[in-house]
Amino acid sequence: MSLIKIENVFKIYGDEGCENEVRALDGVSLEIDYGEFVAIIGSSGSGKSTMMNMLGCLDVPTRGEYYLDGIPIRERTERELSDIRSRRIGFIFQGYNLIPSLTVWQNVALPMTYQKVNPGDRYQRAIEALEKVDIASKAENRPTQLSGGQQQRVAIARAIATKSPIIMADEPTGALDSKTGVQVLGILRQLNEEGTTIILITHDNGIAAQAKRVIRVQDGRIISDSAPGDDPFIMSQTKKEVASAVGDGTTPSGALRVENGRAAWAGARAGGLTQ
Amino acid sequence: MTAILMALDSIKEKKGRSFLTMLGIIIGVCAVLVLVAMVTGYNSDITSYYEKLGVNKVEISIDYYLSSRSPDVTDELYEYGNVDMSDIVTGVTPDLSTTGTVIYKDDNLDTTIYLGSDQFSTCNNYTLAKGRDISQADIEGRTKVCLLGTYVAETLFGQKSPVGETVQINGASYTVVGTYYQKDGTAEDSMDDMVVIPYSLNREVLGSSVISSYIVKVDTSNDMDAAIEELTTWFADEIDEYTGEVTLENGNSDLTSSTEETASLSAILGGIAGIALLVGGIGIMNIMLVTVTERTREIGIKKAIGAPRSEIVTQFLVESAILSAMGGIIGILLGFALSLIMGKILYDLILFPSTAITIAGFLFSIAIGIGFGLYPAVKASGLQPVDALRAD
Ligand SMILES: Nc1ncnc2c1ncn2[C@@H]1O[C@H](COP(=O)(O)OP(=O)(O)OP(=O)(O)O)[C@@H](O)[C@H]1O
Ligand SMILES: [Mg+2]
Repeated sequence: MSLIKIENVFKIYGDEGCENEVRALDGVSLEIDYGEFVAIIGSSGSGKSTMMNMLGCLDVPTRGEYYLDGIPIRERTERELSDIRSRRIGFIFQGYNLIPSLTVWQNVALPMTYQKVNPGDRYQRAIEALEKVDIASKAENRPTQLSGGQQQRVAIARAIATKSPIIMADEPTGALDSKTGVQVLGILRQLNEEGTTIILITHDNGIAAQAKRVIRVQDGRIISDSAPGDDPFIMSQTKKEVASAVGDGTTPSGALRVENGRAAWAGARAGGLTQ
Repeated sequence: MTAILMALDSIKEKKGRSFLTMLGIIIGVCAVLVLVAMVTGYNSDITSYYEKLGVNKVEISIDYYLSSRSPDVTDELYEYGNVDMSDIVTGVTPDLSTTGTVIYKDDNLDTTIYLGSDQFSTCNNYTLAKGRDISQADIEGRTKVCLLGTYVAETLFGQKSPVGETVQINGASYTVVGTYYQKDGTAEDSMDDMVVIPYSLNREVLGSSVISSYIVKVDTSNDMDAAIEELTTWFADEIDEYTGEVTLENGNSDLTSSTEETASLSAILGGIAGIALLVGGIGIMNIMLVTVTERTREIGIKKAIGAPRSEIVTQFLVESAILSAMGGIIGILLGFALSLIMGKILYDLILFPSTAITIAGFLFSIAIGIGFGLYPAVKASGLQPVDALRAD
């Protein structure tokens, strides 16, 4: 049994068969196992967010079946669904989705209240998560007082603070400079090594290269699903990007692409990245 | 707990709007409290009036067809009431009165002259203060004696005791044998503005020997119906259909009917106040729907990160309940203030809304908040996270 399995899933906006029909997902089947690190890549409007929202139980498919832990989502009660959202999945939204009336740390602590984390521990855990993304100094601020990149890091902190076994991140580095982006990727990779399943959306080949599996989406369909090394689009680009992230200018050999991706990340960490 | 703090925050954030929302509840609760207090005040006013007048009276009036051939049943009725019906009857008196002038030395006063038996005071709820009451000997001997109500006594005698003094009533000399206690404020035209003399002086004072009205005082209101029934039978024997027609009335029925009137009045007023509360509730529902719309995105975020439906429902219900409870409390405070002011003005009484009504008003306002907050709350909680997130 795999962690996630979707079978021939459609998400259709507008009226089916009419002119205004939009097939955001057009017959997608996919399986993701426990402990995987998957990047979903595709151009804007290709259906990535739609797919992720469905995987995160935030949306329901127009047609098709979604099994989580082998159980069809349709059969889950409302209560079970909110339990899944709260305890199984840490979701990083493309649009951050922080609550403006709460402070930064309260935003990060909010999912923990739904997880029934002991109130005394929430603040501590929120601060720890904020420290991981170097934004703890803003803990008492309101999200609106933060820059886009800072807000994105708060959103990441909120997801990782839940200690959920699955993290779904929709463009988690979209608003970050490349250094901070690499740092965030580092965090995700470390979580993955500790057993967390990571599903990451990006339109950036360089970031996709950091994953263990790359799923390419176009017009609501999966057009390729492979290890990053075998992904036709990543091959040429990655060399340059990885190299620039490490900053040594060397171009890894083709055989070591993926390995070098990891090496680049390890190197960045060792270098003690700061903001 | 956090839900309450959050609700207070959000109410504080939009003070003006929250206040306007509460206004309906404030007015409704206040109206209910004041109306009930006023009806209570009115009732106690009426009841005390009838109590002063004397309750449990059977009022008898006889319409004799031929005044020249009318029998006098006074002695028989007196005996029947005091002997045969003694277990439920406490007094019998003719019910006669006229107006007259009372003169003492240089002072004179127009007042009501009652002609009664020795049980006049029992029947009409007067209490002897000084001297003695009318006696059976006075009645048999047609003695010119009188008792004074406090207003007459004070006007003619001041602080001096009138007992033993002689006054002129309609030109004849009477000896004052006693006075009654004040029972109605010692004012002109009050129940203390009166004089009683033996009824046997009726021919002299009224110019007629026919006595056609009586009062029979019954011990408790429970015995009223039995007394009326028994008296009806007795009168049927005494006065046949060719002699005259006897009417017996329950003196309490005036009180009963006026209490019934106020009851239906308060039902109508209560209904109006209830409508005010209902409108207040709809106002709350309206504002909560707006709040839900405004916070759809927040609801979406909360649901997306794992908030169960109950959490969202609670959040909105707590907010609407607090809103209406605050309205209820303000309404209660206003209601107390208004009841005090209006009670003083209308009845010269210190009137508070009753505890039961106050508690009921408070609970009802909370119930309205929860009842009318439920729909918006359930609506908010039922949103699909992704749809809620798309809202702006
Ligand atoms: N609520 C909606 N109503 C109608 N069409 C929608 C709706 N949401 C998404 N779409 C359409 O579905 C398609 C896929 O959208 P989606 O957000 O999944 O794209 P994406 O791959 O995440 O793009 P991006 O990289 O820009 O975030 C788009 O064509 C979009 O216009
Ligand atoms: Mg997207």
